[in-house]
Amino acid sequence: MAAITTQEAEASTQRRRLGVGRAKAKGPKQQRLNWRIRLRRDKTLLLMCLPALILIVLFNYLPMAGIIIAFENYDIYQGLIHSQFVGLANFQEALTDPGFWQAFQNTLVIAAVQLVLYFPIPIVLALLVNTILSPRIKSFIQAIVFLPHFFSYVLVITMFQEFLGGAGVLNVFLNKHGISSWNIMTDPGTFKYLVTAQAVWKEAGWGLIVFLAALAAIDNSLYEAAAVDGAGRWRRMRHITLPGLRGIVVLMLVLRLGNALSVGFEQMLIQRQAVGASAADVLDTYSYIYSGLGGGFGGTTSIGGSYSYGAAVGVFKGVLSLVLILSANKIAHMFGEDGLYRR
Amino acid sequence: MPSSTAFTRRGFVTTSAGVAGAIAAMPLLSACGSSASASGSGVTNSNTVKTVIPTYKASDAVTADIPSVTGINGAASDPAFLNFPATPVKSVTGTIGSGGTYKAVTPVWGSVPPAGNSYYQAVNAAIGATLNENPSDGNNYATMLSTLFASGNIPDWLDVPGWNTAAIQNFSEGVEKYFKDLTPYLAGDKSLDYPNLAAIPSTGWSAGVWNGKLYGIPLWVSSASFAGMVFYRADIFKTAGIDASTITSADALKALGAELTVKSKGQYAFDDLGTFLYQVFNIPVSSGVGFTKDSSGNFVSKYEMPEFVEMLSFASSLSTSGYVHPSAIAGDSADAKSRFWAGKTVITADGTGAWNKADAQSGASASPSYERQGFKVFSFDGSTPKIGLEAGASMFSYLNKNLSDAQVKEVLNIANYLAAPFGSAEYLVARYGTEGTDYTMTSSGPTLTAEGNKVVTDTFDQLANCQAVTFNAGYNQITQDYAAWQADAVAHAYKPLFWAMNITEPSSTSKATTALESVITDVRLGRKTVTDYQNALTTWKSQAGNTLRTFYEGVAKQYGTGN
Repeated sequence: MAAITTQEAEASTQRRRLGVGRAKAKGPKQQRLNWRIRLRRDKTLLLMCLPALILIVLFNYLPMAGIIIAFENYDIYQGLIHSQFVGLANFQEALTDPGFWQAFQNTLVIAAVQLVLYFPIPIVLALLVNTILSPRIKSFIQAIVFLPHFFSYVLVITMFQEFLGGAGVLNVFLNKHGISSWNIMTDPGTFKYLVTAQAVWKEAGWGLIVFLAALAAIDNSLYEAAAVDGAGRWRRMRHITLPGLRGIVVLMLVLRLGNALSVGFEQMLIQRQAVGASAADVLDTYSYIYSGLGGGFGGTTSIGGSYSYGAAVGVFKGVLSLVLILSANKIAHMFGEDGLYRR
Repeated sequence: MPSSTAFTRRGFVTTSAGVAGAIAAMPLLSACGSSASASGSGVTNSNTVKTVIPTYKASDAVTADIPSVTGINGAASDPAFLNFPATPVKSVTGTIGSGGTYKAVTPVWGSVPPAGNSYYQAVNAAIGATLNENPSDGNNYATMLSTLFASGNIPDWLDVPGWNTAAIQNFSEGVEKYFKDLTPYLAGDKSLDYPNLAAIPSTGWSAGVWNGKLYGIPLWVSSASFAGMVFYRADIFKTAGIDASTITSADALKALGAELTVKSKGQYAFDDLGTFLYQVFNIPVSSGVGFTKDSSGNFVSKYEMPEFVEMLSFASSLSTSGYVHPSAIAGDSADAKSRFWAGKTVITADGTGAWNKADAQSGASASPSYERQGFKVFSFDGSTPKIGLEAGASMFSYLNKNLSDAQVKEVLNIANYLAAPFGSAEYLVARYGTEGTDYTMTSSGPTLTAEGNKVVTDTFDQLANCQAVTFNAGYNQITQDYAAWQADAVAHAYKPLFWAMNITEPSSTSKATTALESVITDVRLGRKTVTDYQNALTTWKSQAGNTLRTFYEGVAKQYGTGN
């Protein structure tokens, strides 16, 4: 029961979210209202937004001032203001470093593999779970597929290691029977599939929520009417379910693209030693390790680095992500979808 | 310009910069400005070092059962004890603290004991002051320190392990900015006010000197500090009929691979031997890149030594032959000890500190016949082996600069108490807490109670302690074996070039070195070939190596080579 309530809540959030945009765009009458009147009318709503706004400003926008260190030769004793300003030198250094491009390439490849192999899975799962009629079985299955979301990657990777690692269940079995072992956990070539498999195992169930909510939002009378008209299961799926999901799928895709350059920091850092830097370095870990903060992690030796350099890589990634999310949004609009907001 | 370049020193430099005392940020090389110049802060002339460190006065409180053996090149084994002295002597007289309260931060490996526990209370009561211990996870200590330094929020008494300082940018600048100069309190005979501190060998104190001033209190000082050794399971060797003393070359070691790997049992001959192979291949172990002189007197980094390639091909051949435990190849070094205890690996490598009583207990619970032994030092080609010495201390504690004169004296009195020699009454309190509550005295020495096991861990002794000794209550065989290993090792000891000069290299080179180290890991674990390494080395030389060569030449010219 609890799960259904969650779905409903999610669905209504979703509707509200889209609805707000609509009201804004479509309300020429409201727009004509004096701002003071609107303020008085929406006072409660605005007040409710305030705590979130303060949090965002305090923890998201204010720290952005730190971006400045990407343009400096930052010295912790001199501070933000007094450190030597070096302009774009850090960016130039990054863009001429093969290691950086390797990390960039790894990021893109892993993101692409995840997009193809990971993204559709929650949708398919949602369609499957949605066909289960018994609410008890449904929430039971949901609970099981949600659970791995609450495990940390340390645990997930340990479990993979215990099952598939060189000394894991599978290989011990193979060795006992004189069959050559299969080193999936230490193979740099298949690493992108390995991390995707881990991501699917851990997160697919969680990704299900939003699609289930969207499914719950589809008007049941449509199905009834279609059934009366003689539409079979597949036609109902094709003409009602899938179009009903389209908006949310596009929204998730846009968000996914915006996040494409974040392909799992922890996951890569933990497994960096197992497959090596050339397979496991992604922009996030590269920035961390070369800023000197990651000394000793993921098999790096502690030899220091430069905060400024790490920050430059981080800023580069941030800017690129912004470009990505805006273009994805634009494309969504071109296809007549809402994307992040309604035009 | 000098401040932006990075010749800083952690630990000590026996050679160095200019005039005694007053050389803080003076450019030390005329060629300042280039990133390769050895200008900078931190370094101290060896003669200056001698004037600022405490006068050494050995403690006569207790006599070792196995006295220290003097080796070559200044190395000497640690004094070893088979029994805890029956009647602990008092080494500190008079009042210690005067009721002050100090915040201390130290690294802890393992669980953090609860605040205000019986052990803390016992020590605080004994010193007549309050040390608020804030142990912080040792594995993430560097990250914690760099944040601490960036914020400037330094506790009254802070432990800084030498291997963590690379993560703190311009550490030597931070030393001057945040830490108290202890020279006026401890230089020369002034230290005799603190006899237990004066009993810490000079090799440790010299490492606490920065910019001609004494800042750090050295911890775990030893004249036999070595990186570690290659260990083996003596019980498994015995069963297999292998005589460890015949293993005197890399080939002999490798030959054990086939003999000791039994995959169906999940037993592999080797764990990842990592950098502990350096000793075997005569590669100098040092922090930073490690420069040495080749036969024609030119400066070469350890990466460029032919032995380095030998070592990599050796390590790589072990990894690809299937004799190395797969979890080790997957980079899981955290469980290396567990694998060794359980007999999943037979040969491993670790720090010298791994050979102790707690290890024997953990090992015996995994395999009842467990016995750890270390290979005597040997050289890859069977020639006369040698083992590189490290600085006399690798951990230091520092006092906050804002402490008043009276406070510094109080803290030094406390340090003097904590540094009480092994076997003294103060040592018992500082390391074991209250008798009856935290420990009981048995025939083999103080033994922690159930309560003691929960609360007594290395905390106060990470602020100040006595010279390192070997003692394993009730496990005298370990003490004797380790003492024998040390006695053999000190006879083969040498001081690598720039010995004990903890040099922070120009930060512009760290990126290329990090990248090269990644390739080295890949080659060692069999993912890349030696050719890949040689290509990476070429890149490294052009991006960092040649810069560093100039830098080290400058260091040698200006400050000497530490030998």
